Amino acid sequence: MKLIVNGMELDIVSPPLTPLLHVLRDELDITSPKAGCQQGGCGTCTVLVDGEPRRSCLTAVATVDGASITTVEGLGDRDALSPVQAAFHRHYAAQCGFCTPGMVIAATALIQRAGGPVERADVLEALGGHYCRCTGYVKIIDAVVAASRGEVDQIEDLPVSVAGEPEVQPKGSPA
Amino acid sequence: MKAVGARLPRYDGIGHVTGRTQYVDDIRVGKNLWAKALRSPHHHASITSLDTGKAEQMKGVHAVVTHLDVPKNVYGHLEGLGVPADEPLLAEGDVRYKGQPIAAVAAESEAAAMAALEAIEVRYEERPALFDIRQALDPDAPQIHQWGNVYPHYGPYNHRRVRKGDIDRAFDDADVIVEGVYRPQAIEQMPMETQVSLVVPEASGRLTIYSCTQAMYFSMGVVAAHLQVPLNKLKFVGGTVGGGFGGKVDTASETISALLALKSRRPVKWRWTREEEFLASATRAPWHIELADAVTKDGWILGRRTLTLHDSGAYARFSPYGVTKHAFHHSGAYTIPNLRFDGFVAFTNRVPTSAMRGFGVTSVSFAVETHMNRIAEVLGLDPWELRLKNANRIGDTSGNGVVLKDPSTVPVTLAAADRVGIELAASFRAMTPEPRSGDLLPAHLVAQQSLNGEEA
Repeated sequence: MKLIVNGMELDIVSPPLTPLLHVLRDELDITSPKAGCQQGGCGTCTVLVDGEPRRSCLTAVATVDGASITTVEGLGDRDALSPVQAAFHRHYAAQCGFCTPGMVIAATALIQRAGGPVERADVLEALGGHYCRCTGYVKIIDAVVAASRGEVDQIEDLPVSVAGEPEVQPKGSPA
Repeated sequence: MKAVGARLPRYDGIGHVTGRTQYVDDIRVGKNLWAKALRSPHHHASITSLDTGKAEQMKGVHAVVTHLDVPKNVYGHLEGLGVPADEPLLAEGDVRYKGQPIAAVAAESEAAAMAALEAIEVRYEERPALFDIRQALDPDAPQIHQWGNVYPHYGPYNHRRVRKGDIDRAFDDADVIVEGVYRPQAIEQMPMETQVSLVVPEASGRLTIYSCTQAMYFSMGVVAAHLQVPLNKLKFVGGTVGGGFGGKVDTASETISALLALKSRRPVKWRWTREEEFLASATRAPWHIELADAVTKDGWILGRRTLTLHDSGAYARFSPYGVTKHAFHHSGAYTIPNLRFDGFVAFTNRVPTSAMRGFGVTSVSFAVETHMNRIAEVLGLDPWELRLKNANRIGDTSGNGVVLKDPSTVPVTLAAADRVGIELAASFRAMTPEPRSGDLLPAHLVAQQSLNGEEA
């Protein structure tokens, strides 16, 4: 079997009924999809399979042989966050962070499908199967709506460390 | 003060949104074994036989542990305070809750570990179980714990007590007695990350323990006590927790993972399933709270009698501490001059209960605030005004004898009323936390005011 994972074409040796979650985590060491419940209930293992959000814990790898898989590692990195990643960071939508990979993936799929701004009701529908126990969801919904409108500050706007200075140097602080 | 008032990025935010944050389950140390536990299928039973021989011989199994493998099996969170130990790491003799671990296996895959559990031969003799704390004190109730059904180590008492003022006189002087019973129920904290640990035996002879604990040094102490090793034999790595909410205060998986790592001499990971999390991890406690308040027609609370039963589950853990916090908060944010509080820690055949977001406090706050509304309803008074009238003021004495220097009841209540659009009379809107005077200093509260600010 083969998978194209975050743009890399990889041979897969796990048995065909192995959940995609375990192939990603244990064969490929791609650890952003989490084993939150392994019953399809919590959403934190969600990845994109050919652009569609899927619960990797309930997806036997053989059923997606040859598919293109995207995890949050494939969306962006520190220097080039995707709009959804940047919005989650800017809006404090990640607290403990354990549900964040699944949330970001599902939100990315929603915005791609919509092709433009989405409303809160759309977010509730698309993220309804994703649990978060920290935030109370408000900041997550804010982040997804903002990302869909392109209201995303670039990460360069955030304070940066300066050698010899304390780590925290926010712009506009009284000091 | 660069951070105060500024909007700062989360230091770990970019790791979270890019999937780079490493939780315990994401640590890679080469091939590790997987742990699984044999858990009691019964709420209350004695173990009449336990044989792990077949499981030990199975392919892919590298270690099986029972209570016989634990240097100090029975441990208590409050041993440092002189309270005897009461909870076994792995059950010996009796099981007291469904889901209690009896044995554990380390094998080359989770499937192999599960198969080995199936091969452990164990026989039980079931016993009657107790689930309702209200029955714990009945003479014919099933006896759950080595101490009986009530925790007996509150100094000379078997319950936490508060005695303040003259409670009998308050009830004699009252116009109305308002009674209420409040029963907040168990809640599973349910963090997204289940209990998980990874233990690596190092060449130095130390164990490196990757842990999702909320309480690093406490967990380190628990593991060291069970293993009977000095702290310098353990290296705890933690701090990245996928949600806890109190559910990761008790040490859930680390000690058994460590035992299996020592016995197999290989890295061992134990990642609980969601089912295990619900079955066997500590919950917030259920409570039974009875309040009786002696009140006057014009809305003064002269006295409060409280009986509280805290469901500790099968073992004590931190429940006695939770009840002490409960006692400190049982008069709420209000000044009540006469108090009589009796709080019992009762044992049942439920999973042991523990911290969750305001250990022991949220339960009594729920009861007190609901009771305040009930008093207002009985007296025909505005519940906001009732609260403001009895609110803690600077110089008031709390239930446990602390003179309050900066109580926030008045400003917080006023701000809450404002936010939800409640119109209060001008005399209430003008209230401050300053010391009582005039109409707000009736005779029954004079002795509560300590004008020189010294402890009563």
